Amino acid sequence: MKYTIKSNRVGVIGTEFVPDEGTNIEALLANGFIESDEPSDSHASKSAKTKEPAKKD
Amino acid sequence: MASATYLSNPGVMINSINLTDMCTAATVTNMIESLEATAFGSTSRSFVGGLANQEITLDLYMSYAATETYATLAALVGTTTTVKVASTDAALTTATATTPRFELVGCYLESLPVINATMGELSTISITFTGGVLTTVVS
Repeated sequence: MKYTIKSNRVGVIGTEFVPDEGTNIEALLANGFIESDEPSDSHASKSAKTKEPAKKD
Repeated sequence: MASATYLSNPGVMINSINLTDMCTAATVTNMIESLEATAFGSTSRSFVGGLANQEITLDLYMSYAATETYATLAALVGTTTTVKVASTDAALTTATATTPRFELVGCYLESLPVINATMGELSTISITFTGGVLTTVVS
């Protein structure tokens, strides 16, 4: 997995981020300091559409 | 002749995030816990070294802006990370024998003051990272 720097506090924006030993990657990703090249799997999957029963007058 | 070190611009990096411009004080303590080894027949106490128990304490200006103090630290509470403190900002990347860098790998942040405010003053916080393995980098 590759990471890209998104904040100049981490390094040059747009360059690859290579984590040091002990770096908490989740914290960096959570606050937008870096970005992963893999799509996040944290989004909840869409629920299946269900047909609502027809309303009766 | 006495020799002293005057630090005006140390470098501080928490979890790969450079917070030098938010930091006003840093203390890195290298400690080996003492275990008492005094026995019958001794006339004074004696100790042997136990576990290493390192600590880094930082004073920081608080900021809730994106990619600043709060954003850096909030997700680290209750987790481990790496903290680097160097005698100069440049030594965060290139340390030398006279400008060493101290790295605490796997240190734990137990608590974060989320508000520490006084009327008419900039908000500051003091945080302590404990545990981990301390390394001194000189090249």
